Amino acid sequence: MTATTVTPTPHPAAKKADAGVRVRIRTSRLVLYTVLVVITGLMIGPFGWLIITGLKTTPELAASPVHWLPDSIQWHNFADAFTQIDFLGYARNSLIIALIYATLVTLSSAWVGFGFARLDAPGKKVLFGILLGSMMLPQMITLFPTYLIFAKVGMVDTYWPWVLWGLSAAPYLVFLFRQFFAGMPRELEEAAIIDGCGYATVFWRIFLPQSRPVLAASFVIAFTWSWGDFIAPMLLLSSDRTTLSVAIMTQYVTPGGLPVNNLLAAGSVMYVVPILLIFLIAQRGFVAGMSTTGLK
Amino acid sequence: MTVGQMPEAVRRPRPPAARKGAGAARSGGLPRTSMTARRHRAFYMFTAPWIIGFLLLTVGPMAYALWLSFTTFDGISPNWSFVGFANYRELLSDQVTWDSLSRAGVFALTSVPLSIVAGLALAVLVNRPLRARGLWRTLLYLPAVVPPVGAGLVFKALFNRDSGAANGVLNVVGIDAVAWLDDPYARYVILMAVLWAAGNVMIISLAGLQDVPRELHEAARIDGASAWRTFRSITVPLLSPVLLFQAVTGMIASVQTIMPLLIASNPTPAGVTAIPQTNYMYMMHVFAEYFALGRYGYASALLWVLFVLILIATGLIFKLTSGVVFYNVDPEAKK
Repeated sequence: MTATTVTPTPHPAAKKADAGVRVRIRTSRLVLYTVLVVITGLMIGPFGWLIITGLKTTPELAASPVHWLPDSIQWHNFADAFTQIDFLGYARNSLIIALIYATLVTLSSAWVGFGFARLDAPGKKVLFGILLGSMMLPQMITLFPTYLIFAKVGMVDTYWPWVLWGLSAAPYLVFLFRQFFAGMPRELEEAAIIDGCGYATVFWRIFLPQSRPVLAASFVIAFTWSWGDFIAPMLLLSSDRTTLSVAIMTQYVTPGGLPVNNLLAAGSVMYVVPILLIFLIAQRGFVAGMSTTGLK
Repeated sequence: MTVGQMPEAVRRPRPPAARKGAGAARSGGLPRTSMTARRHRAFYMFTAPWIIGFLLLTVGPMAYALWLSFTTFDGISPNWSFVGFANYRELLSDQVTWDSLSRAGVFALTSVPLSIVAGLALAVLVNRPLRARGLWRTLLYLPAVVPPVGAGLVFKALFNRDSGAANGVLNVVGIDAVAWLDDPYARYVILMAVLWAAGNVMIISLAGLQDVPRELHEAARIDGASAWRTFRSITVPLLSPVLLFQAVTGMIASVQTIMPLLIASNPTPAGVTAIPQTNYMYMMHVFAEYFALGRYGYASALLWVLFVLILIATGLIFKLTSGVVFYNVDPEAKK
């Protein structure tokens, strides 16, 4: 009896343990994916709700309890959202400002980043410290008095503030370019400098063409900032020159001032989608940029 | 394809220190002094746009605000005067200031730790071997890409009293509709709006997680450490510089958040005084004093107090964490 049991025991026992491990792995996998699906649902759900809200009628939005899905899908809300406010006009304003700002700030930040990465002079360390420190400065704090100054010199209701902000480089992007340029081999500029080229030529002819991915990342990041900005255009621009973000926030209302929630939601969808598309297209560079600057 | 593949791109800029060393030993083709002088001139030529911009658009306005803070200037009336520290004295005795400051403090102390914990948890979650890992990462990060205005609109729709999904869910479980966007619930809505963007912390922590040397985890496993122990004793210390950075930038972002305005029914300078009390945080107070009431002098005093408080808070965070934060390698140290 003992003999017969002893020999086969290892086998079933091992098998049993093996199956146990497998079951445990399978359940832990199940838990893992359930958690993942629930969290992702919570993160993505709000987008879905915005779209659904945009497809309902006004009475459906007022119904209590909440009317989960529209009885008939109101596609025309999206068309109406275009006409209730001058959607395309505001989108054009947003686009112009974002293009001006993103182009200028990308070039100026690359230019400054080159200086910090490849050149030195007395005072560089201090300046770099100030640059990093200014990343910590809340922009809202400087924006308010800056607005007062812009008002004084007659730049309110013009796009000049964005030109100036663009020309003066953004510390965050300077840092991004600085990190990238610092990693490029020294031989790149040495020969050119010895041949008598100026640093500007070296920057323009050698470094800039090599940094297309960073340029793209910087452009996308700056474009997103500008597209999403609210306070600066609200303060600086009059209601017909302002950006889409301000118009959407303030203009989907009835003549009596009540919000038109379905058109607001439809308009919001169309405001957010371009940014999501740009992100999905430029994802790699965008994320790399975020992580580089966030890591140190 | 995805968020998951960034480490190469992130690491790319790292070798500067080594390269610089090699470059320093170069053989001089031109006389050294003229080369050096040229480099110095070029440095200032290249950094000039930022230096000038910083002086004109940051230092200038801040100095202007400091000057204003000692006046009764309101932008219209020509009879303004210097009042010394009167604005600062008024500020100290103004209950609204103290209340709004404490709301901002509470908001920072809840939203920052919560989003760091949430972001780190998400990072650990999507750092595991998963099917379609890149897709999960992208989906979880997506809300963080949405600009604040978009997030405000999304949360307005979600928490609308009549048409919001939040009250729909409450109704299903038998709870009466809640006026989420009013007192006293509005503060939870902005908190959730901040947590919705936890993907920012996730993506940065993820990059940090992928930099944690694999051998360390393997060694810990061989020594019999549990997953939690490994996380606490290896992952967190190695990530601590990243987390510190998140704490500081998160704190600053939370202080200047305009989310209270964005979920308000009238998000304009005129409407800022009507936002729910619980969301009337310090920045909203500053904003209202500037643009709803036009009290530039007093508002500038508020602004400078905030500026100094942020400097102190940043300094404190660095000081308190100096013994805790672990710097593995400092790429700048070799210079």
